[in-house]
Amino acid sequence: MSAAEGKDAHAGLKTKFLAAAVAGCTLGMIGLYMGITNDEPDPRPILGWLLGLGFWLSIAVGMLMLTMLLRIFRSSWGVVVRRQLEHGLHAFPVLAACFAPLLLIAWFGEGQAGILWQWINPANELPELVDGSRHHVSEDILYLKKSGYLNIPFFSIRAIIYFGIFCGLAHWMRKCSFEQDKDGSPKWTVLGHHISAIGIPAAALALTFAAFDWFMSLEYHWFSTMFGVWFFAGSMRAGLAVTIIICFFQSTRGQLKGIYNQAHRYDLACLSLTFTIFWAYISFSQYFLIYQANIPEETFWYQIREINPITEEKITWWWVSMGLVFGHFLAPFLYLLWYRNKIDVQRLLVAACWILSFHLLDMYWNILPGRVLADNSLGYLPREFTISHWDIAAIIGIGGLCGLRYLQSLNQSEVEDIPVRDPQILESIHHHE
Amino acid sequence: MSAKQQAPAYALAATFNSPKDIYKAAGKVREKGFTHWECYTPFMVHGLDKQMGMPRSKVPVFTFMGGITGFFTGMLIVWYMNAYDYPLIVGGKPYFSPIYPFPVFYELTILLAAFGTFFGMFLSNKLPRHNHPVFAYSRFAETSDDKFALVIEAIDAKFDEDETKDFLKKIGGKRITLIREEEG
Repeated sequence: MSAAEGKDAHAGLKTKFLAAAVAGCTLGMIGLYMGITNDEPDPRPILGWLLGLGFWLSIAVGMLMLTMLLRIFRSSWGVVVRRQLEHGLHAFPVLAACFAPLLLIAWFGEGQAGILWQWINPANELPELVDGSRHHVSEDILYLKKSGYLNIPFFSIRAIIYFGIFCGLAHWMRKCSFEQDKDGSPKWTVLGHHISAIGIPAAALALTFAAFDWFMSLEYHWFSTMFGVWFFAGSMRAGLAVTIIICFFQSTRGQLKGIYNQAHRYDLACLSLTFTIFWAYISFSQYFLIYQANIPEETFWYQIREINPITEEKITWWWVSMGLVFGHFLAPFLYLLWYRNKIDVQRLLVAACWILSFHLLDMYWNILPGRVLADNSLGYLPREFTISHWDIAAIIGIGGLCGLRYLQSLNQSEVEDIPVRDPQILESIHHHE
Repeated sequence: MSAKQQAPAYALAATFNSPKDIYKAAGKVREKGFTHWECYTPFMVHGLDKQMGMPRSKVPVFTFMGGITGFFTGMLIVWYMNAYDYPLIVGGKPYFSPIYPFPVFYELTILLAAFGTFFGMFLSNKLPRHNHPVFAYSRFAETSDDKFALVIEAIDAKFDEDETKDFLKKIGGKRITLIREEEG
């Protein structure tokens, strides 16, 4: 009954998501094709696709971790919120499909196979000059030493394993919850608890190495053991922000009307504050260690995000960097310290949208800068910060697909609005501060 | 004996048998406009603080002030030692910068925020306090067993021994007792 009503209510939204998905993904695919077939191959559209994928993947990963964390702690407050997370987890297979074109380029791109990840093509020229002349990836000692890990077959197998872990855990998290709606058996709660116990370390490893493979290996000379933790922190912030936004809509005009209360909001906001601090802590730690050690092999990564190494003038990334320090940490940190901002519906919505926007900027900052070959004493120039229509297409397109998957899960007639037969559902509904 | 009767009244106490009763009664006491009163319960009654109309704790303000003080104290220490009193170049770092000594700012922020929380809690609870007049209440021990007590203090502007007694009776209070200040 309620699901049938919901279907009608969401028809308009579904059309919008579908239009966004078709338009965005078509444009994105054209970008991928043009990027590799142009006379002068351009990695920018492909970076845009990776950016859009990374953005939505981080949200889904954050929601997956949050679901498992709620399970492992047998959290009672989160039961009504968890159902929305489970709907969100439906997006994983689509994200895997969106990753496939990048793998196809790596396998079948021939001369342009390494257009995104430079190490894939041995004939690619290194950005920096070696003894004053250009060398290739195949002659690069740093690549040769890492080639046992960074090679296409192993890279592809790993990608399949990562998505296998994400999709498998998402499937089981959803199954444990949805099946319990039907038979009310507590065994599903126990099973969900056990799967989370295995799933948290498994997903943590998967997201860490996925971040290494897909984002860190864009500049494969550079390495940071913090990078996976950064991706986790960013994912949690993004996942929480989207959860808060979804719960806002569901509580004002949807399934959670009259159920999602001030105390639920307060707890989600507290988690957002926690991960805001955590994100700042690990991002600063990464910067701080590299700053203190001051080894050129590592510092160049921050340098291309700050200045033009030839002229030593500040470039666009410097402003983005400052934007992240003050906009992604300080502002939400101070804002979320205030009690009223955590419980007020509108104020918390503002915080969630703010964090999500800056998370996108953070993805830009981590993915987009790179060393573009140039005819100067260093051999390269940093790629400047730009927002391209390819980025927007990927973000809208993949976002539309994720939205469609969420609605598809939401409109299943046999799934209740909230986990009505969960042993802790009453505690969750009566949750108070 | 007569001296004890002379001791000024501290408060009127009434007991209730269930959390529900005291919860309802607390609402009525709040509506009546009393400000100096307290509930004693054997366990936490959720929502009772709100029902009593209690404002949010002031402790977070102390925490925040402590944190801010710590942050700028850290900055001051580093600036004074490393850039002003004895300028020293270490590892090619500048005399003063917000980056390399950040752990100092950060640790002091946390330390003084913790102090702020601790002492803020003491201040806002008027601690340390070695005795409380309510301990003279003969049934006080029962509030850690199965009774719920509501105590209206005599210093409340609306307090009147007879009227308040009737009021407590009206809102369902049992065994209404006058608590007197202890001597000495």
